[in-house]
Amino acid sequence: MVDVGWYMALAAALFLIGALGMLLRRNALVMFMCIELMLNAVNLTLISAGRALNDLDGQVAVFFILVVAAAEVVVGLAIIVAIFRRRATASVDELSELRG
Amino acid sequence: MITPPEISWLAIAPDLALTLGAALVLLVDVQWKPVARVHAWVSGVTVAVAAGLTVAQWIQAAPADALAFSGLITMDGFAIFTRLVLIAATALGLAAGWRFVAGLGRRGAEAIALVLLATSGFSLMVASNNLVMMFMGLEVGSIALYVVAGLARERRESEEAAIKYFLLGSFASAIFIYGVALIYAGTGQFEIVGIRDLLAGFVVSSPAVIYIGVGLVVVGLAFKVSAAPFHAWAPDVYQGAPAGLVGYMATVAKVAGFAAIARILLTGVLDLSGSWLPVVAGISVVSMLLGSVLALVQGDVRRLLAYSGVSHAGFIMTGVVGGATDAVLFYLAIYAIQLIGAFAVVAVVAGPDAAGSSIDQYRGLGRRSPLLAGAFTVILLGMGGLPVTSGFVAKFGVFTGAWAEGYEWLVIVAVVATVVALAFYIRVIVVMYMDEAQEEGTLRIGPERWVLVLAVAATILWGIFPASLLDLAADALPI
Repeated sequence: MVDVGWYMALAAALFLIGALGMLLRRNALVMFMCIELMLNAVNLTLISAGRALNDLDGQVAVFFILVVAAAEVVVGLAIIVAIFRRRATASVDELSELRG
Repeated sequence: MITPPEISWLAIAPDLALTLGAALVLLVDVQWKPVARVHAWVSGVTVAVAAGLTVAQWIQAAPADALAFSGLITMDGFAIFTRLVLIAATALGLAAGWRFVAGLGRRGAEAIALVLLATSGFSLMVASNNLVMMFMGLEVGSIALYVVAGLARERRESEEAAIKYFLLGSFASAIFIYGVALIYAGTGQFEIVGIRDLLAGFVVSSPAVIYIGVGLVVVGLAFKVSAAPFHAWAPDVYQGAPAGLVGYMATVAKVAGFAAIARILLTGVLDLSGSWLPVVAGISVVSMLLGSVLALVQGDVRRLLAYSGVSHAGFIMTGVVGGATDAVLFYLAIYAIQLIGAFAVVAVVAGPDAAGSSIDQYRGLGRRSPLLAGAFTVILLGMGGLPVTSGFVAKFGVFTGAWAEGYEWLVIVAVVATVVALAFYIRVIVVMYMDEAQEEGTLRIGPERWVLVLAVAATILWGIFPASLLDLAADALPI
């Protein structure tokens, strides 16, 4: 039996990878995938914490986060597609018309 | 035998009304393809019903049965007051954005439905006692707002605002929910009241996980309320999103975000305040100074309002440091009305679906449309916190709270920031009255005029007689 702490550590590592990718990558799609990675790290944390605490709340919460992630995909991909259609690029560096 | 949970429909009645209203707008649009006036009636009645149900909650609410739906939702004064502010912001925001909505043609119904859904989400968020429920409300509201930011589809700036808002908003949501997961790992609780009782009763053996969790929750919400150093998205989004609805977007996100911050920090983890107070005070200082200084150098009124929003986030944070929920609520109510009023002026000057609003457009506004310029002057002075305006009372409230808590240095920084902030508000006023107009002709004002009348009246009347609203805010205590 693997100690629950390892699962939490793995989740923390996944979350960090996602957060760093979000900050370092410049392609809107990849940034979006990094956000999904972060949400999945949250799911892993909740499942392992719920398991360790012998409590169902954490595992039920995962379903809610899955649904939210799906809703974000719908809106996010729609926005990215709309931008790609007009500019033929998904790089956020090209999106710099708004500045003071 | 399983006993079913007790259901108190009144606790979520306003949110249900808003959701059903959104569905009704879409159905009516599909079935009859009516003119915009019909949508105005349907959305107006929906908002009125939601407001009426919220007032009914206020009359009914008793602290003993404040928890509903097995502790997911609260019906405390704090939730009801914030909900009223959100619903008022929706009514004013729709009026200010009406010319934009009507100009969308067949897509107008979508815009109204999205606005109503966003309000229902944020309204659930401010009333939730459960952190996962709070996340659901936050996301229902935020996802609707991402779409609203991109509604002016034919403008490239609107698309850019939408993608920036979406990426950074989702990033903030992910940080928030990871913080919630860590708090759960440390306490075994999602319920805010449960966390409070746990922390009051036990010495938590390994608090590091909880500290990190609280920190991440604060960071996630600081993103949403555009507090520095997490404010980078705000100027771009405020500049690029359709002018008519920007005021609504900015206001509801900020009101709901601060209500959540106040509820989590001041109810949930108040016993850990020794750890989070310095952090929140730090965010407050950075926001006030950075927002005020950067607003000085903006050439676009919408970016200026965005940076002023950053400094306002700092001012409201001083209220959180002071632990005074009533001062925070009063400030939020006042700022909500003024922010929507200011963006209503922008919508008139720049055009309802425009992106950006250069300060050159405001030159000589005092001669072109004296009433509009007068209203903008009152609102800007109110935002700046000049005495005799409601902004002064609001600032006084949050500052005295922080002073009483022993954060004198924070109040001194805040007063300095207030003076710097006055400089850029006055700069806009000077441009309106001292410069020659670059464009001729009077400006067309639509339903925005009612928003402006209300914003000016609220700024002056609650500046001279603040007692009525202060008493309401003082009664609006969290459980």
